Amino acid sequence: MTDDLLGAEGDPGNGTADTRRDTGERNTVEIDDGTGDLEEGRSGTMLLARMAEAVYWAGRHLERAEGTARIVQVHTDAHVDLPVGEDVGWEPLLAIAGVDSEFAERYQAAAGPEDARAAEEDVIEFLLHGEGNESSILASMTAARENLRTARPVVPREAWEACNNLWLSSNDLLEEAHTREGRVRWLRRVIAGCQCIHGILLGTMSRDEAMSFLVLGQNIERADLTTRVLDVRSDSLHAPGADDPYDVVHWMAVLRSLAAYQPFRRAMPARPQGGSTLRFLLQDDRFPRAVGACLTEARAQLKVLPHSERAQEACQNASMVVASAPVARLTVGGLSEFLEDVQLALVEIHERVDDTYFRPSFVGWEPTVATR
Amino acid sequence: MDLTHASGTLGSVDDPTELAAPQGAALAPPWPTYDPAPFYDELVGSDGTPRPSADALWNHFAELGPDGLAERQVAADREIRALGVTFTVYDGGVGVDRPWPFDIIPRIIPRDQWQIIEAGLVQRLAALNLFIDDCYHEQRAVSAGVVPADLVTGSPNFRRECVGVDPPGGIWAHICGSDLIRDAEGFWYVLEDNLRVPSGVSYLLENRMVTKHIFPEMFRHYSIEPVDPYVGRLASTLASVSPSTGDPTIVVLTPGIHNSAYFEHAFLAQQLGVELVEGGDLVVLDDDCVYARTIDGLEQVDVIYRRVDDLFLDPEVFLPNSLLGVPGLMRAWKAGRVALVNAPGAGIADDKKVYSYVPDIIRFYLEEEPILWTIPTYRCSDPEARARVLGDLANLVVKPANESGGYGVLVGSQATPEELAAAAKEIEDEPNRWVAQPIIKLSTAPTLCDDEVAPRHVDLRPFTLMGPDGAYVTRGGLTRVARRKGSLVVNSSQGGGSKDTWVVDSPSDTALAGGPA
Repeated sequence: MTDDLLGAEGDPGNGTADTRRDTGERNTVEIDDGTGDLEEGRSGTMLLARMAEAVYWAGRHLERAEGTARIVQVHTDAHVDLPVGEDVGWEPLLAIAGVDSEFAERYQAAAGPEDARAAEEDVIEFLLHGEGNESSILASMTAARENLRTARPVVPREAWEACNNLWLSSNDLLEEAHTREGRVRWLRRVIAGCQCIHGILLGTMSRDEAMSFLVLGQNIERADLTTRVLDVRSDSLHAPGADDPYDVVHWMAVLRSLAAYQPFRRAMPARPQGGSTLRFLLQDDRFPRAVGACLTEARAQLKVLPHSERAQEACQNASMVVASAPVARLTVGGLSEFLEDVQLALVEIHERVDDTYFRPSFVGWEPTVATR
Repeated sequence: MDLTHASGTLGSVDDPTELAAPQGAALAPPWPTYDPAPFYDELVGSDGTPRPSADALWNHFAELGPDGLAERQVAADREIRALGVTFTVYDGGVGVDRPWPFDIIPRIIPRDQWQIIEAGLVQRLAALNLFIDDCYHEQRAVSAGVVPADLVTGSPNFRRECVGVDPPGGIWAHICGSDLIRDAEGFWYVLEDNLRVPSGVSYLLENRMVTKHIFPEMFRHYSIEPVDPYVGRLASTLASVSPSTGDPTIVVLTPGIHNSAYFEHAFLAQQLGVELVEGGDLVVLDDDCVYARTIDGLEQVDVIYRRVDDLFLDPEVFLPNSLLGVPGLMRAWKAGRVALVNAPGAGIADDKKVYSYVPDIIRFYLEEEPILWTIPTYRCSDPEARARVLGDLANLVVKPANESGGYGVLVGSQATPEELAAAAKEIEDEPNRWVAQPIIKLSTAPTLCDDEVAPRHVDLRPFTLMGPDGAYVTRGGLTRVARRKGSLVVNSSQGGGSKDTWVVDSPSDTALAGGPA
């Protein structure tokens, strides 16, 4: 018996004469007349604006989850290296994550004035899964999973599965993160899980427009995270000449939180201190978490996307801000202000991407089309 | 078709003993206390021994032992959770994502039986498509007295907007999910034809994938018909109705991430390699063409595999406050600028009143006898039938004529006197809304329940594709299983489970579905 049972069993009786209407030609509406022939638009992969937004955010949230996990892990390690009393406490983690005020609202309102320093347990809980912290590791993973779920049709099945699995196990095993020892395991699983997802994407996803949005989101988030890690160190830079015996420990921690220690050692002859570290993490063009490299990558992705001129321009502008950083001067002051400029330049890239591809102004393209 | 002959021929091809797992001494039966009586069991004969097609499976489970089986179930549950195979259940208005319930013991259907079922399903869908097309054109079946006029124009599923439309090939229902059941003798019946937005095929495909992972050994003992080709056939069916000449742009239209079948919508879009769109992603312009909002502007869409109900499709024509649809979509479809799969209005042929006329519909349009049986159905709108139904309510199943998903179904034998009285009142108040059928003693299959393997009732949902170029039926289907003892309700929306279903190359020991009821 053939697959085509209908064919094998005979005509169903109403004359299956093909009544298909051939409209002859079809329309592909191009926004930009200069982008080439109509046939090209028909050749298959289209990417819905909504899907593009979902993969872009999946890229950002995955990066945020991994980045936050690294920072917490490294801070825990560094904390152990410092004598009691010399340590910097746990507040810097809140500053890096940009959630100090949210934390204060939840935890310190309840505590008395004698608890001036935030307790380790509270900070860790807040960063890992705290209620009211929208960028906690777990919240970021949940958001990444939701976005990948929406974008399932355009991302490899295995990537979604890995993300779903990581999300499930991180939830299931949350209890263990309450001890320092268990926390290390939990964070390692998150970092390895995120790396696994990136690996699947790199190894199995076509370098199509969806991939570009994912990598774009990833790099904007990475650049932002690097600036925030640096910003926290800016406080202790304001005492020129002060010989902090733990300076090297602090800068090593900065490098380690960005997985940059080994690449830094290989690339820079100097020992880790302010100037060399700043130069590396801001301006290096080969280390994937250096702001300069992130921007180069982001721009490369934008170049293959249609209508990306404005976003590219913002990207180029950010690159120039970073490249012109007066690194030596920044070690003695003004680092925080400078990093704020970089962050604003990053926000500008995001906003232009958002405007061009995801936002209602996109709907404004319709009338142009309708009159054709 | 000579059914005895079909079974006899195929029955001689393979010696069932060859299928048995290699083994030394005879193994004890895996489930010594298993007793499906008085029902027909899919794997176990009335003498307590496995049916020939289930022999190797039986031996394998005997070797595994209860602990081994339980371990495999845990592995399967874990995999389903990791794969993110979910089904949304509504509880007090809140949708909860639950892992897809899967029972690891497969159900087996011999191929000789399946071939007859396949032919029967294609015959049925061909006739239903002719009926739908007729409903929106001359209504020959009405003038010939095959069906009453009220069945067509009086149906809530009749869409006036579809009158006179000519979809490609005259096909309206391209995708049909049929519900099949077997009675105490093992005879097959069609219980329902789902022609609107039938769901479940993704679970059928995922069930097989999981089974391959947890029972890889068993695939050595059986030659099992693959289920994967469905996706390719779906793609070509969708492409075959495209109104344009070039490579068509196909999309799947979903109501969104909160819909109970969203997993399936995303799964199918991914498998087909097409975009999964929501209403807001599409726009119909003055040229009556449908466009998707892409990052590169608006791109024309040719074929929409829509998983949104008719009434939500186009707020300009149907429910004006629907946010799930696309304003102007019906206009585009009627202008022949876009294909909708299934076509709007196809639901006219899947209400339970039409069901009772299907044998006549097949005879009228195809001039053939129906291959598959239909359950005798009392239409409560008919005074004589109504009197019989009301007099025998405790022995009947009462169903709303136009609902799907198992909602509102009353099984007379399991209802309390209060429920029976309430049903009787509803029937008297609105006889048009109700039909009744004799209670069929659904077949059972061995199912892992808590710590024992026990018989549970099953049905089967195969999927049939039909386009201008041909038809295709999934090999096997989605077996749904009622997990509570004695329960006949297998619908996933009512907490039913599922099984992988194997169409195997081994002979049947049971009479096949035969001629018309």
